[in-house]
Amino acid sequence: MRRTILAGIVLVTGLVVLLDLLIVNPSLGDAAGAVNELLVLLAAAAAVGGGATLVAHHARNLAAGDGDSIGSVVLLLGMAAVLVAGLRPGSSGSADPAVLWLIAALLAPIAASLFALLFIFVLGAIRRGFVLRVRETSLMAAAAAVVIVLLLPLGGQAGDWLAAGAGWVRDVPLAGVFRGLLIGIGILVAVGAARSLLALDRDDD
Amino acid sequence: MTSPDNVARLRRAAPAVLLLVVLVVATMLRPGAGTLRLASPDRSHVDQLRQAIGDLPSEALVLIACDGDLGTYPEIRATTRAAIEDLGAHGARLAIVSFTPEGRAIAAAERDRIARSGAAEPPADLGFIAGAEAGLVRAVSSVVPAAAQGPTFDAIRQRGGGIGAFDMVLIVSGSDISARSWVEQVGPRLPDLAMITIAPTFLDPELEPYLRSGQLRGLLATLREGTAYADAVTSGPAADRGPGIAPLPMLVGMLAALAALAEAASRRLARRARRPSRRPMS
Repeated sequence: MRRTILAGIVLVTGLVVLLDLLIVNPSLGDAAGAVNELLVLLAAAAAVGGGATLVAHHARNLAAGDGDSIGSVVLLLGMAAVLVAGLRPGSSGSADPAVLWLIAALLAPIAASLFALLFIFVLGAIRRGFVLRVRETSLMAAAAAVVIVLLLPLGGQAGDWLAAGAGWVRDVPLAGVFRGLLIGIGILVAVGAARSLLALDRDDD
Repeated sequence: MTSPDNVARLRRAAPAVLLLVVLVVATMLRPGAGTLRLASPDRSHVDQLRQAIGDLPSEALVLIACDGDLGTYPEIRATTRAAIEDLGAHGARLAIVSFTPEGRAIAAAERDRIARSGAAEPPADLGFIAGAEAGLVRAVSSVVPAAAQGPTFDAIRQRGGGIGAFDMVLIVSGSDISARSWVEQVGPRLPDLAMITIAPTFLDPELEPYLRSGQLRGLLATLREGTAYADAVTSGPAADRGPGIAPLPMLVGMLAALAALAEAASRRLARRARRPSRRPMS
């Protein structure tokens, strides 16, 4: 029963939004706008709820002495620092100099460092991969080596050839595989949504 | 006192430390012109984007949708700054908005940088709109905060107050909201809106078809295209754009990666060669 109600809500809201795209009608536009407003509110509530759950989880870990206490303390202090900087009286929110400093001096360098470490970790993973699964890792490493060679930032005629090769790899095999994946995912989502809307998954009730 | 353990530890760390030192030195060196080149020799994407900006009417309203993420934004930072300069040089009136929290942080930092440099007026701040793609749909009809005051805000209000008020949107794409979201959510509602995008390389296979279908008027989605574009935009001092990406450290990193791959593969092959054959002796 609950599943039927949910499917009904999804069906009605989906149809309203879809019809609004197809038909120019002010009343339909208002209804679709109201649905969209509700969705925005839902997303905001989910974000606040997610943040509150995260705080509760780490506060509980700290109280019970479970897990990584230092990590929990750092996370809670970090959240508190950004919230205080952005919400204190007189603050200009996300454009406040204190928030900008926290982002420019802490968040951005930390994120960039983590991405830079990927370089080391991927190479380490490939080394281990050669021990565990030789064929798959060899294939992956060979493909990576070819792409790296094609992207070498060389000048002159050699650089032109490499760049043309990199462009071909990007436009033909990579784009082909990627589009195939996207089309496949799209079909799966459409079929899944249609089955849900038409209540064809009643066996799960 | 150095114990054998410490020596072994130092020996293990030596390659990484050496690579780090070489990378630091490489960032300081400037090789001769022509030896190394990061900019893409294929200028078709650069020309497309420059033409889209060049076709703007005078005093055009352009929206910068800043939704990059902190992880990949360094790859497109110089290109984004060059595009903002380029739009300013064409007399566009700019406004900036974000639909992701990280994009908002980047947008606020970029506005702050432009204001501090004093070279140009920072884009009018439309702030952060919550709700991700639902927020994007809502912004089609209303994008200006009620309390916002200023000539650019007034111009947007006079043209309806939504995204449709703009002559063009420059989408700074990230992992959460990219030009794909704009093509899917805004494109059908505002089919005449010109959209151009700057995106990190990982989004290129996803966005390229939209460029070919004409749903995007311009796309710069690789570091090499971005560098070519930043080189082509010559207005304003390049130092204002912050640290650029030099080809030499990149080459050093790539050669180090190739060497590590070759070393791992050769070690595996050597181990396999040493292993005794399993076939029974006849």
